[in-house]
Amino acid sequence: MTHPSPAAQMRLTQALASLADVLLPGNDAWPSGAAVGVQHAVLRRYIEAKGEDTLAQLAETLGAHGLPLLDQSDAARTDAVSAFESNDPDLFGWLQDASYFAYYEDASVVALIAARGTPYSLRPHIKGYDLPKFDLETQTPTHGRGHYIATKDVRPVDISGLELDTRITTKWGLQR
Amino acid sequence: MIAKDDIRDVLIIGSGATGAINAKVLAEAGLDVICLEQGGWIERKEFVHTHSDWGWERNSSWNPDVNARSHPDDYPVDSDASKVLMWNGVGGSTNVYGAIWPRYRPSDFRKGDEHGLQPNWPISYEDLAPFYERVDRLLGTSGLNGDPAMPPRPACPTGPLPFTPAAQRLSKAFDKLGWHWWPAEAGVISEDYDGRPGCNGCGLCNGCPRGSMTLYSQSVWPKALAAGAELKTHARVLRIETGPDGRATGVVWKNRITGALERTRARVVIVAANGVGTPRLLLASGIGNSSGMVGRNLLHHTLVGAQMWVDEPVNGHMGYVASMFSRQFAETDVSRGFVNGFNFNCLTSTPSAGEMTAGWHTGTRAPWGKGHHDWFERHFGHSIGLFAIGDDLPNPENRVFLDDKVVDEDGVPIARMHYEPGENDRRMMNYMLDRLEDIGAAAGAYEIALTDYRDKDGIYRTPAWHMIGTCRMGDAPEASVVNSWQQSWDVPNMFIVDGSVLPTGGVVNPTPTISAMALRAAEYVRDSFAELSATTRTEAA
Repeated sequence: MTHPSPAAQMRLTQALASLADVLLPGNDAWPSGAAVGVQHAVLRRYIEAKGEDTLAQLAETLGAHGLPLLDQSDAARTDAVSAFESNDPDLFGWLQDASYFAYYEDASVVALIAARGTPYSLRPHIKGYDLPKFDLETQTPTHGRGHYIATKDVRPVDISGLELDTRITTKWGLQR
Repeated sequence: MIAKDDIRDVLIIGSGATGAINAKVLAEAGLDVICLEQGGWIERKEFVHTHSDWGWERNSSWNPDVNARSHPDDYPVDSDASKVLMWNGVGGSTNVYGAIWPRYRPSDFRKGDEHGLQPNWPISYEDLAPFYERVDRLLGTSGLNGDPAMPPRPACPTGPLPFTPAAQRLSKAFDKLGWHWWPAEAGVISEDYDGRPGCNGCGLCNGCPRGSMTLYSQSVWPKALAAGAELKTHARVLRIETGPDGRATGVVWKNRITGALERTRARVVIVAANGVGTPRLLLASGIGNSSGMVGRNLLHHTLVGAQMWVDEPVNGHMGYVASMFSRQFAETDVSRGFVNGFNFNCLTSTPSAGEMTAGWHTGTRAPWGKGHHDWFERHFGHSIGLFAIGDDLPNPENRVFLDDKVVDEDGVPIARMHYEPGENDRRMMNYMLDRLEDIGAAAGAYEIALTDYRDKDGIYRTPAWHMIGTCRMGDAPEASVVNSWQQSWDVPNMFIVDGSVLPTGGVVNPTPTISAMALRAAEYVRDSFAELSATTRTEAA
């Protein structure tokens, strides 16, 4: 197993931090990705998912796109990350998702969400959320719609017009 | 080397929902019951629900797809299309499921009469209804009585779960369309029941270590164990053995702790290993397949989905994951251009902000860069999810089968799985997607995203929670694997009690039906045990 040198490891962490700051830039309301340490969780999870042996390749790919993007303008940083997204969409998507997860599981970000008036908990399973009980009087449907065919009433339907064997649907799903 | 030889009244393979029910019923009847489970117990503290990184974990190490996680209790399943959602351990897939709890409808049992493209079931809704009700009482199902789109039934043991803002918003949309809707039934208790705490609305509804959702490891297994059933974990069954009279004599299994092979004999063998594991085991054992139907007619349901965002906050990260059903399109109407129907399972949303930004449900990721935070503020708390779930037609070529070259670490051929939707299914999907767009418009959504689960190459990679049909029940041994009591036509003291026996999928999540059938089969074994201990012939019931 080939481990990156300490210097290379540090540079990889810097590259992920730089990427996190482009993906999740800070503003007046929200901290940046790197400010909450997204890069550390992303690196740890990358190792867990892909293995230490892949770190050198990761560093090489990030480096090929100019990361870490030190001393560059916002526009140049955005251009570099856009190129990364286009050239290696699978790896970029994985890092994007990992960065998003890490960002929103940070306690300070969770506190910011809650402070905006949306009840949101870092670990909601422990105490849950307060929801009003179902009100039988006001929330029971009164529309009266709906029917079912009882067992004794099931009748043959005429499927001759469907032509399931001869009329083939080639455009289906989102391509319909 | 075979280390032990033992004989029991009943041997159950698999400790999921159906294995648990059978163990309970048969042990309570005083029978000597052993259940072999290849996985282990999951203690409450082992679940990730109380971790701060639960959102990531449920997409990685706790991913329901066996091929998206790396867990030593799993076995290899090589699928060329569908994702393979299951959990191997005490309680089975109920450790990670969502416990949406609708019933089949009467016509689901009579598709042979209706159009002939599927078989009739050898039993009717009326045969099964009492067992649905008893399972509901065992588990504490929640829901609202009186749905005009379903046969009358007794009230659920616990009342409906909170009617969330997302449900309220959708109900108005369905009203606008003039379509049926009804609050969802759930395998989740809305109030304390049988020593378990009522749901606290946390929204993390893939398994539930607090026990509000019925995990069979918490709701049923304690009763089975108290009745004297023995549950042996880390016990992977490698083959079922039969004698010269055609009866099952027992199984050979591997003790995954010691590595030893052991043999346990039994008078009755019950297979409860799910729609993939059961056909794999039968095929690997070379038994039960005189019909050629073992592994064939794999059904998943015809599934598409949508996510919509509305201006009014609905806080869909709070509350039980399913809010209501619409059964508007559940029955066949050939004027739509296909047979069979579908339901809408209306959801809340993801409980995880990270999960939503990473593309929950429809793959709609939040943008990166300067627009990210604006997107988040506009979308989080405003999201609602929906599934349309339809009755797919059986196709013998959709199947689970054995790899002819690759074996697992124990020398058993690995399971392979193939599934693709047929013509009727594709037409139904198109219709369902159009209706999902109707719902989005009626709800006043400012954005709607659809998913057809097709990848960039067009392959339908459905998240296949529902793996059914691969050991179908029927009236005739030449066209089915088990009879109406779920008794093998070929091996008269072997019963299959998992979802593989369902001949059709209905338009609903199948666990309530699978559980009701398992209870029915268990009581048959209990009441016929003396005869089953000796019989060498399976009768058409």
